[in-house]
Amino acid sequence: MLFLTLFLANIKMLYRNRQAIFWALFFPLIFVVVFGLFRLDEPSPVKMALVDQAQDLLSARLVQSLGKVEFLKLNTTFNEEEARRKLVDGDIAYILVIPSGLAQRVSSGHSTNLTFIYDEKRIQNNQLVQGVLEQFLGEMNMAVQGSSPLLTLDSRGISARRIGYFDFLMPGFVGMGVMTFAIISMASQLALYRQQRILKRIKATPLSVRTFFLAQVGAWLVLSLVQAAVILAAGMLLFGARVYGNIVWMFPLVILANLAFLNLGFIVGSLARTVEAANGLANVVSLPMMFFSGVFFPTDNLPSVLREIVRLLPLTPLLKALRGVLLDAQPPWHYPGELGLLTLWVVATSVVAVWSFRFE
Amino acid sequence: MAYVIQVEGLTKRFSALVAVDNVSFQVQEGEVFGILGPNGAGKTTILECIEGLQEPTAGRALVRGIDPRQEPHRAKENMGVQLQASAYFDYLTLTEVLELFGRFYHRHPDPRQLLALVGLEDKAKSTVSRLSGGQKQRFTLAATLVNDPQVVFLDEPTMGLDPQARRHLWETIQEMHQESRTVVLTTHYMEEAQALCHRVAIMDQGRIAALDTPTNLIRHLPVPYRVRLVASTTLPLGEMEGLQGVTAVEHSRNGEYLLSSVNAGHTLPALLALLNGRGAIAEHLEVFTATLEDVFLSLTGKELRA
Repeated sequence: MLFLTLFLANIKMLYRNRQAIFWALFFPLIFVVVFGLFRLDEPSPVKMALVDQAQDLLSARLVQSLGKVEFLKLNTTFNEEEARRKLVDGDIAYILVIPSGLAQRVSSGHSTNLTFIYDEKRIQNNQLVQGVLEQFLGEMNMAVQGSSPLLTLDSRGISARRIGYFDFLMPGFVGMGVMTFAIISMASQLALYRQQRILKRIKATPLSVRTFFLAQVGAWLVLSLVQAAVILAAGMLLFGARVYGNIVWMFPLVILANLAFLNLGFIVGSLARTVEAANGLANVVSLPMMFFSGVFFPTDNLPSVLREIVRLLPLTPLLKALRGVLLDAQPPWHYPGELGLLTLWVVATSVVAVWSFRFE
Repeated sequence: MAYVIQVEGLTKRFSALVAVDNVSFQVQEGEVFGILGPNGAGKTTILECIEGLQEPTAGRALVRGIDPRQEPHRAKENMGVQLQASAYFDYLTLTEVLELFGRFYHRHPDPRQLLALVGLEDKAKSTVSRLSGGQKQRFTLAATLVNDPQVVFLDEPTMGLDPQARRHLWETIQEMHQESRTVVLTTHYMEEAQALCHRVAIMDQGRIAALDTPTNLIRHLPVPYRVRLVASTTLPLGEMEGLQGVTAVEHSRNGEYLLSSVNAGHTLPALLALLNGRGAIAEHLEVFTATLEDVFLSLTGKELRA
């Protein structure tokens, strides 16, 4: 009963604390909006100048077909010299030159070179564009010769689901939002309570500090559920993030991991002498996790030593399980290793939190 | 008379520093008891040992016969505690804080009544963070009473307040006394101890230098009275020094005489007779008793606010 009163008072305090609401909700939402607006998984259009020196029936057919390739933005108004200047200036990325007399040479059976000019600095796209052009010319060759391919590739993706980069990011933002808020706000709150002697004032009453903090943790856990729901809903409703699993499984995972995060914040708040120090130290703890634990990139891309360290941080298993539950539509117990690691974190940080606590 | 608080041989050491050095005293039921001394004299440490917030290194402190170390819960139920410069939750209203703290004692206090006691009824719905310094101090007094305690501990209740706010707080403390609560307060303001306390313990470097009623402390000073005189003519210093009760005479440059006396009742008639005999007129005559400030100076050889 007393716990409930205190729990509700904590909820009230959180709700009235504008700054807390900002860090809990708006900070992660900024990430959702920014990454939602920049659609990173769709390749940006590539500008290519098409210099048609032939101006015959065959070259016209080439130009028309190339125009249908989605991510090529064709420009046919430049001559070769102008196009080369534009490429050096960076206004266009590629030039394809169709030599004069194309139809004649082809019909007389001569093989003919189209000149492909590219900027060597554009490493990411060069291979892609070159590949597309080669494939395109291959098809054109067969069409011109009137033959059909003997060998074809029948591509079948094994995943029935389309998971884009933004879909990958969303569980990351949920985990990141919950983690940063829990560690930073718990650390500075505890330091503040100690600095303002509220803890000592509590000690002078019959209330046990355990009840005092359990009620606070309860309120923080409720807020973390609201956080997770709001962040995911924003991604889904505003930017069409795809979720394939049962969203409800997200909540027990968030609670489990958040117990560890809140404990970490509590430990930081106990170690730091002032509110400012607590804030700084909490950032030191949460920022590396935010960048390395796979919020933005899969941890597989990290150097192996770093990857093994990062694998043990509490945010990493949370993100893995969240992605599994939300994107691969698995139940949480499909990730026993992750759940075990998180539980271990909760137990270990609880022990250290109790040990490090001090009233003054 | 029943003792509400018994402090026996209380000692508190912080590594090399002895904050409280073998202190013993008793506080009676319904008394307003003052612990007076400069910063660092050990006042707060004594109070916090009695409140059960600190562990004494040696000795013990009992409140109504209960040792807060052995029965912290029972001891705390019955005491109201105001800590030096302690705050309350920033995002709760005054009413909500009082109700919440009342629940810590499993009680349902009436916030309106408590706020009325300290003159903050109109602030019932604002948060603590919006109160002025004086209002905050008054609010902490209201918060000490949520459990209707028989013993109230106030640590520097008027520190940093302007004189008017201080008087306001004194009235509240006097009301606590009228409700027959026992009040123990620390202060380094002499006039506060003199105005509020029935008995005062004067602390210096962790020890009690003297403990008595303010009147007795002053009366037992070697020289408890001063007489200030401005006369129309110059008076012979030798004759003045010979007057009954006078121990010393100073003649300041602006023509003012300052006599120290062990007995103002004897010295004054003799001084007036001396003036009469010389046909002089007293343009200014003032008798004043020593203060606790003088008591402290005489006991420790130090100024209190040094």
